[in-house]
Amino acid sequence: MTCRQSLHLEQANNELKKEIADSTLIKESKVKLEHALLQGQKLQAMGTLAGGIAHDFNNILYAIIGYSEMAREDVEKDSQLYQNLGKVLEASQRGQELVSRILTFSRRQHHQLDALNLKSTIETVLSLMKQTIPASVTLQFSMETELSIFGNKTLLHQILVNIINNAVDAMDGEGSIKIDVTRIGANDPTLQQFPEMSAQNYCKIEMSDTGHGMDKATIERIFEPFYTTKEVGKGTGLGLSIVHSIVKEHKGDIAVTSELGKGTTFTILLPEHQQ
Amino acid sequence: MAKILLVEDDNLVRDMLTQVLQRADHQVVCATNGEEATDYLRKEAPDIMVTDIIMPKKSGITLISEVKTRHPNLEIIAISGGGRLDPTGYLDLSESLGASVSFEKPIDNTALLMAIDLLLHGNKETSEKH
Repeated sequence: MTCRQSLHLEQANNELKKEIADSTLIKESKVKLEHALLQGQKLQAMGTLAGGIAHDFNNILYAIIGYSEMAREDVEKDSQLYQNLGKVLEASQRGQELVSRILTFSRRQHHQLDALNLKSTIETVLSLMKQTIPASVTLQFSMETELSIFGNKTLLHQILVNIINNAVDAMDGEGSIKIDVTRIGANDPTLQQFPEMSAQNYCKIEMSDTGHGMDKATIERIFEPFYTTKEVGKGTGLGLSIVHSIVKEHKGDIAVTSELGKGTTFTILLPEHQQ
Repeated sequence: MAKILLVEDDNLVRDMLTQVLQRADHQVVCATNGEEATDYLRKEAPDIMVTDIIMPKKSGITLISEVKTRHPNLEIIAISGGGRLDPTGYLDLSESLGASVSFEKPIDNTALLMAIDLLLHGNKETSEKH
């Protein structure tokens, strides 16, 4: 074989390898896109169902509260019955809060969006969270440059609070939570993990914890409403589905990676607002 | 004491609210949907109408818009637990059609009774949501 033939063969071989790699990438992106669409439809259907349940539940709760209050008016204040009826009202109050959370998930409200400085928005949440999380959990925040997004401050606070609370629970009160914010450009390879996103600049918020991590089956269902791994009464299974819904409302995307025993990382992309 | 027309399709809520209103010395007449309420209003003139929004046959929204045309002086209180929309969406709409006050279920019954008293004594509150 001549040197020229060998060169031709090597070139053809390289082109073929590139074609195979491109084709694999396209297939992977297609699978991810189909999965994201299916997930979106599933969440929407659950939202509609949740809205209907919430309406009926409000009527039921109202009857329980109304009758309990009237019964309480008819008994002695120092009786056991009076106290027990107080517990019925307390439980109803919890039900009311749950319905309110379900409605937050199912309602597609129109929220006021403004240009927000991401750094100060995150710092506000962290200063509040530091007062509520155990001292044995450290919170680290780094941001390479000033970035802005077009969003709703209250909703962004909800994203951060939910993920931080989950991280604290996953660490059994000890460990560290790291938040890194960077800008990624339209050609950044990270965008390949997010096939629904367009070629533009995004703010990438990575939130990692050193908790017990999740298995593959849990990761698959993590954004589904009412899915929870927490004990009965400790979690409603709505926190991360609300986070997912808020990120989507901001025309962004969210992904999760996790390793059992090592920790979890949530990666959120939000379109950068060019001022 | 007021004569109150209570329009509510959920029997548990209707019976409970009837008792709450009667305990506050009000006279209560019940209707289970908008059509029954319209029939009653052809014959009688209550002081206040308390109406749910999502009901079979005729909704609270239709009822309020019809009542405000035929009985402009009737005070209306709208109540709702929501449905496909956020309850405040229905309640905003009911107030824009003429309801004096609106409440989101589960309602604070003390606030409801206070609103009734205010309406009876002419201190009309608009856009007061609880």
